[in-house]
Amino acid sequence: MSQNKREIEATGPDVEAAVEAGLAKLGVSRSDVIIEVVDEGSKGLLGIGSRDAVVRLTSMALPPTPPARPSTPKPVKPAQPAKPKPVERPQPIVDEAEAAPEYDEVSEQDVVPELIRELLDKMGIEATVTTSQTELDDLTDKRLMVVEINGDDLGALIGPRGETLNAIQYVTRLMAGHKMRRRADFVIDVQGYRQRREQALSRMAERMAKKVAARHRPMTLEPMPPNERRIIHMTLRNDDEVYTESTGEGKRRKVRILPKT
Amino acid sequence: MKELVEFIVKSLVDNPDQVVVSEIDGHSSTIYELSVAQPDMGRVIGKGGRVINSIRAIVQVAAAKQGQRVSLEIIED
Repeated sequence: MSQNKREIEATGPDVEAAVEAGLAKLGVSRSDVIIEVVDEGSKGLLGIGSRDAVVRLTSMALPPTPPARPSTPKPVKPAQPAKPKPVERPQPIVDEAEAAPEYDEVSEQDVVPELIRELLDKMGIEATVTTSQTELDDLTDKRLMVVEINGDDLGALIGPRGETLNAIQYVTRLMAGHKMRRRADFVIDVQGYRQRREQALSRMAERMAKKVAARHRPMTLEPMPPNERRIIHMTLRNDDEVYTESTGEGKRRKVRILPKT
Repeated sequence: MKELVEFIVKSLVDNPDQVVVSEIDGHSSTIYELSVAQPDMGRVIGKGGRVINSIRAIVQVAAAKQGQRVSLEIIED
């Protein structure tokens, strides 16, 4: 078993994310690896002074299903590179599912809605849970699953400045990630809160940008969580007259809008 | 409430069978004491207590709904 020692390097926006990414790649859990931080990275958004964190993970355990083991007792189809070639009778859906490693089969869709329904039920909250996909993100080129929670009087689930919502999202991501044995990526929204907030922030960013450009003087916005700062940076990233940066640490981190000239 | 804490914590740890939640009723509030297997401790607490604080936030919402006051503490042995 110990011959199966594998070592990989993984990167992510912070150490935690890098570790998660590495664990997902190895398909093992945290207790099975030795984590070594190569580079802690530095914060900053959208490449403004940011550096990804790098970690080295040494796995001591056998992954649930080794990526390419030729001698599995499932000789239905020898590993042949026939995937791109459509065979006469296409039955690829079943084949692909079988060929995929075990830990990749579970998707967010399989795990997350049920998990959130159960959580709300245990919290004594009556609400409906539906899912959708985000638009294709033009930076990451990905779609995310959005879990929408709707019902009466759900303000408590959002909390001041969305703090409770963020806590619920954080914990349920971990819970789902543990179940899926890889990082779970999804967004939770309650009563369209995030969407409304995003629109409000974009409008505010544009208003502020106009002021900055007109006065030729930088402005600093109130402290915001990372996802909200990102909305400001994204909104103004192609602006001709201003650019943005984040300053401050932790909860006090704020976006500054500065004139380009 | 106890069930809620157990559900969350058991979904986060590698040793769900070692998750124990005990309920201590006080006159004004209820304390939930949580203990987990030593190797799972970090997972439940999180960096800077982020995980346990998020769990607390969830439990508070549920408690407020029932007009209860609760606190959640991790027991280290």
